[in-house]
Amino acid sequence: MADLASFTRFARTISAGEMIFSEYEPGDSFYLIQSGRVKISKIVGDIEKTIDILQPPEFFGEMAILEGAPRSATATAVDTVKVLEFNRANFEVLMMGNPQMALRLLKLFTKRIWDQKRRFMILTLDDPQAKVADVFLMLAETGAAVASAEQDGEKREFKVTVDDVAHWAGMSPPQVQTILGHFANQRRVEMFPDRIMVRNISDFIRFVNSKRKK
Amino acid sequence: MPKAGLYRANSVLYFQGDLSDKIFILQSGTVSLKYTDIENGKEVHENIEKGEFFGVKSALGKYPREETAQVLTEAQVLVFTVPEFEVFAQANTRIIMKMLKVFSNQLRRVHKQVETLLEKSEAASPEAGLFAAGVYYLKNKQYSQAKYIFGRYLTYYPGGNLAEQANRYLEMAESGNAKYGDGKGPAPLVVEGARNAPAARKPSAAEAPKEEAEESVPGEELSSSAKAYYDAVSLFSQEKYKDALLAFKKIVEANDDEEYSAKSLYDLGRCLFMLGQFDATIKHYTQFIQAYPKHPDLVDSLFFLGQAYEKKGDAERAKGFYKKIITMETDEDASVRLKAKKSLRLLEEGSRG
Repeated sequence: MADLASFTRFARTISAGEMIFSEYEPGDSFYLIQSGRVKISKIVGDIEKTIDILQPPEFFGEMAILEGAPRSATATAVDTVKVLEFNRANFEVLMMGNPQMALRLLKLFTKRIWDQKRRFMILTLDDPQAKVADVFLMLAETGAAVASAEQDGEKREFKVTVDDVAHWAGMSPPQVQTILGHFANQRRVEMFPDRIMVRNISDFIRFVNSKRKK
Repeated sequence: MPKAGLYRANSVLYFQGDLSDKIFILQSGTVSLKYTDIENGKEVHENIEKGEFFGVKSALGKYPREETAQVLTEAQVLVFTVPEFEVFAQANTRIIMKMLKVFSNQLRRVHKQVETLLEKSEAASPEAGLFAAGVYYLKNKQYSQAKYIFGRYLTYYPGGNLAEQANRYLEMAESGNAKYGDGKGPAPLVVEGARNAPAARKPSAAEAPKEEAEESVPGEELSSSAKAYYDAVSLFSQEKYKDALLAFKKIVEANDDEEYSAKSLYDLGRCLFMLGQFDATIKHYTQFIQAYPKHPDLVDSLFFLGQAYEKKGDAERAKGFYKKIITMETDEDASVRLKAKKSLRLLEEGSRG
């Protein structure tokens, strides 16, 4: 991060609560967080859903830089946030002058591509139960929503709600609620207010694989 | 140091599903990648070109190989570990740049595939989407959020279908914020969609009944003057200023409905301004202000006067108008006041610098 000193002319401070960009806004810049937290959210139906809370030294808005497509989510400052703001014009200068950052962005892209492909795999399952189960497999693979670092045997706990699972599975929350209730009756999952526990992750792997078209 | 390796025909560099931190460059020979298309389940074969990297994503992202790399004719390859690749790439930033472009295209494509599966293909255009986001925040009394979005909307789509409405919502957000603060006050009355709907204009005391009638019965037949007026507004928003000017003139001359001829008179000035006829703009609005000192668009007229003088290079007169707007305390005109403030600041900075 040593080279960043020469980029202070791109520095911007955003006060807490202020919107940095809105979903659907044409985007021509991306950001590197230097201090403070940034909330990434999206309006889904009638609620604003928080997708992520980002911290230094994470990037956001990076999708816009290469193709200028509209923003896919909204970014709002949680605290007073300091960012470096880059646009298409100075992007190359920055990346060429800061290969370390370019490499981090490259890794971020590989992760995003995988996330999207994985999501696609969930959505192509025909069986709704398999879709729900596959959401947990995805979460387990990425380690994103795993509730505790210490996992006991085949048991996995996830910090997700029914709504989250519904979002990933592309299904309605009531439908997911019914399926999870069914899994709970079969003693395959346990539901808690703040988390969902899968009792045997290997059982879910076998179940999903049996439903995937070869 | 990356290792050079010679591989025979029909050997396999890696299998789909393998976990590995190796990245390859093809130097000579033929290597084919075999993978399953996630969309149609068909097997795809793709030959690597000489000098091309492969195995990059799964190695960098630490996930299983998505394809099988098979040697078709004897191939010379360079094999990097991830740390070796990182050292190499950092010394050759152009390679990273190229990969960034390739990956971002892939990301876009898979993103689109996901969206299609979610049946969001009918999803909003960016313009409508942005507007809808603003409506969401306004409805939920998150005024500063709404203010930001409608402000951006008007920046990107000044002649957009929803620009008139965005302008009004921007004012509602500004006054909501000033009066109540974020999250407080009564829920703003927001009408969604509806092109050309004369919705949500904050009525002044005098015209309140008429405006409210329009608002509460959006499906009601408009009078012929109203129709002509909104047709003209539509021409204006399509940037057909000459046609719009003629249309507004007709309404003013016909004078069938006083309300719409007064409105048209104001819009006529905007057309003159957009057409670059600044002397005519000044003459028009000077007369307009004298004739209608209580017109709801009075403050905007003052702003156009300032703008016209500014365009003519008369900064002093322009400043006079901007200052006048700023001293007029009407919160429904907050957006024009902000614009005036900004213009004034720019002019003053300009004269100092």
